[in-house]
Amino acid sequence: MNQENLLVGLAGVLAAAAPIIFAVLGETFSERAGVINLSMNGTILLSAMGGFAVAYNTDSILLGFLAGMLIGALVALVVAFASITLKQSQVAVGFVLALTCRDLAYFLGNPYMGQAGPRLQALPIPVLSDIPIIGSLFFRQEAITYISFIAIYLAWLWIFRTRPGLMLQGIGEKPAAAFIRGANVNLMRYVYTVIGGALIGLAGPTYSLAIRAGWMGTISGLDGIGWIALSITIFGGWNPSRAAFGAYLFALLQWLGLVLQPVLTQVPSQVLQVAPFPLMILTLLLVNIGNAEWVERALAAMPETTRKFLSKLLRAMRASPPAALGVPFERD
Amino acid sequence: MRSRLNSLFDALLPVIATLAALAVGAVMLLLLKVNPIEAYAALWDGAFGSSNALAETLVKATPLLLVALGICISFRGDVINIGGEGQMIIGAVLATWVGLTFVGLPGWLVITLALFSGFLGGAVWGGIPGILKAYFNVNEILSTVMMNAIAVQLMNFLLRGPMIDPSQAQLASKIPQTARLLDIFHLPRLAPTRLHLGALIAVMLAILVYILLWRTVLGYRIRAVGQNPNASRYAGIKVPRYVVLALLLSGAFAGLAGAVQVYGVNYRMITDGSASGFTGSAGFNGIVAALFGQLHPLWSIPASILFGALLVGANTMQRAVQVPSALITVLNGLVVVFVVSSEIWRRRRQHRRLASAKEEESSTKQDQPQAQTEEAKQ
Repeated sequence: MNQENLLVGLAGVLAAAAPIIFAVLGETFSERAGVINLSMNGTILLSAMGGFAVAYNTDSILLGFLAGMLIGALVALVVAFASITLKQSQVAVGFVLALTCRDLAYFLGNPYMGQAGPRLQALPIPVLSDIPIIGSLFFRQEAITYISFIAIYLAWLWIFRTRPGLMLQGIGEKPAAAFIRGANVNLMRYVYTVIGGALIGLAGPTYSLAIRAGWMGTISGLDGIGWIALSITIFGGWNPSRAAFGAYLFALLQWLGLVLQPVLTQVPSQVLQVAPFPLMILTLLLVNIGNAEWVERALAAMPETTRKFLSKLLRAMRASPPAALGVPFERD
Repeated sequence: MRSRLNSLFDALLPVIATLAALAVGAVMLLLLKVNPIEAYAALWDGAFGSSNALAETLVKATPLLLVALGICISFRGDVINIGGEGQMIIGAVLATWVGLTFVGLPGWLVITLALFSGFLGGAVWGGIPGILKAYFNVNEILSTVMMNAIAVQLMNFLLRGPMIDPSQAQLASKIPQTARLLDIFHLPRLAPTRLHLGALIAVMLAILVYILLWRTVLGYRIRAVGQNPNASRYAGIKVPRYVVLALLLSGAFAGLAGAVQVYGVNYRMITDGSASGFTGSAGFNGIVAALFGQLHPLWSIPASILFGALLVGANTMQRAVQVPSALITVLNGLVVVFVVSSEIWRRRRQHRRLASAKEEESSTKQDQPQAQTEEAKQ
């Protein structure tokens, strides 16, 4: 493979990670506030279909993206209403919505199957795109990919460097304390779940209007991406920068799978297709293993230097969920 | 009198919720310019209209019930098993392998072996996420979903490669399917319809799971761990062990569902390359049936029949009034959303009733009304 192909491939990886980044950031906001939005897999499909349908009928790509965000926000509103106001199981509601939205997408998307619609064009940034290597890697992308770069930074800034972000952390960790500090816990949870949902909804049109333009129904290959995004959220430890790293890593692995397939002809094609999933399980295992009791006990029995090294390594990988994740808040 | 009305209302709530969902479905049908009464009549006719229709409904309900039984166990243990699809596949693969390998053995023995190996295959596929959760803190929702993806590719590899039907291997089409099982290995039919022994096995297992959950120490511990893991730990229950067990059993029932599907319906394993191509999404719909049955093994029986009827009736409805059968899956989702919400609503009403009853009681005493209402709230 020559250098140019490699650069094109890697630039493709950055683009392919964009929808996953939106979804992961949305879920991160939602879960930081204490609400698990398990509907993500269905939301992405429905917003991909809806976004494409709107763009197809209005010939406006912008409206398509907005429609996707609106769909994501509406689904998240259902999750929020069910879990915050009705205080019912977030997992049950989210899971049912994941299935329902997926079926709705296939059902309502039937007329748009395989239609050629509008798609986002690459938008090279003047001057910057002429820089060798970096230019073709970062600055000849579609607009939505640039937005994904900015979104990572803004999300990180918001959560860790602003006062409302600090409050957001509090709502997910110790809602009672945040309440005493004057936060309207349930209202904030509504707001962050819906905003997070809108971000998740942005992922759909990013597929159907940009990187995999069109709506292909069940063979669009989008089914399952939401679940992967969910595990990347956990891998990312509810931290936007680490989550983005996970998204890029996943996109890179998928691309490697595609590139390696013709080279490794003796390996069955299913092995490379399936490889991301055991790898995700492995990363989840590594992220969580530091929290296990028996690991701590095993570490204590080890010689000093090994223990120090291992526990440092485990701490670097470890991620703990917001303490109040999935727990309804009641003031009394 | 009022309390009796209340309890009657509570018992009817799932029915009311179902009717509400059907009403929403009727609006959708109207939007599609279809007469909803005509559509629902076709649905009813397709599901219960004749003995063949009824048999089809029960055949569809069987894997749903088996998966739902596993879900009752795992959800009661506060372990969320989304991996029914994968567990069904692995169970079916193992069971099919048994049937295709031991062709010299008597039929009853092979069927028994096959069902048992289906149970075992599902147990392994559910046990892995169980161990990952119990000893490595890996979220079981995610790991079971990933195990589904792995199972699908494993199935595609086997059904296109080592296990492919020799006659398909000759053809260019290469449909991913195994060879047909010998006639003596088919699960016996119960009536001159497609209804097979699997339905009876599922109902008997429902009773067994009920006994397991509420009449044995094992079931008590699974439920205790599900309700309060910390209290269970202090009571000396080895929590991780029961987490593994809950997921393992849950997977085992799904695996059995896969084996029953092969030996009772298709007589071979066949797919279109996706999980639902083999399972018909029973691994997911079983969760829905279990939730509808309020995670009770016996209530899961009518719940599974209801969803089986919706699935079978949907096909008739589709043919009669030309609506996409996907509408039915949407309807399924609506039913569950309505039922789950009504359940929560019922609980809140109950709480409020209890609270107001206590308040009345305490207002006569005047001494500690504050403490009383506090207690009632919890």
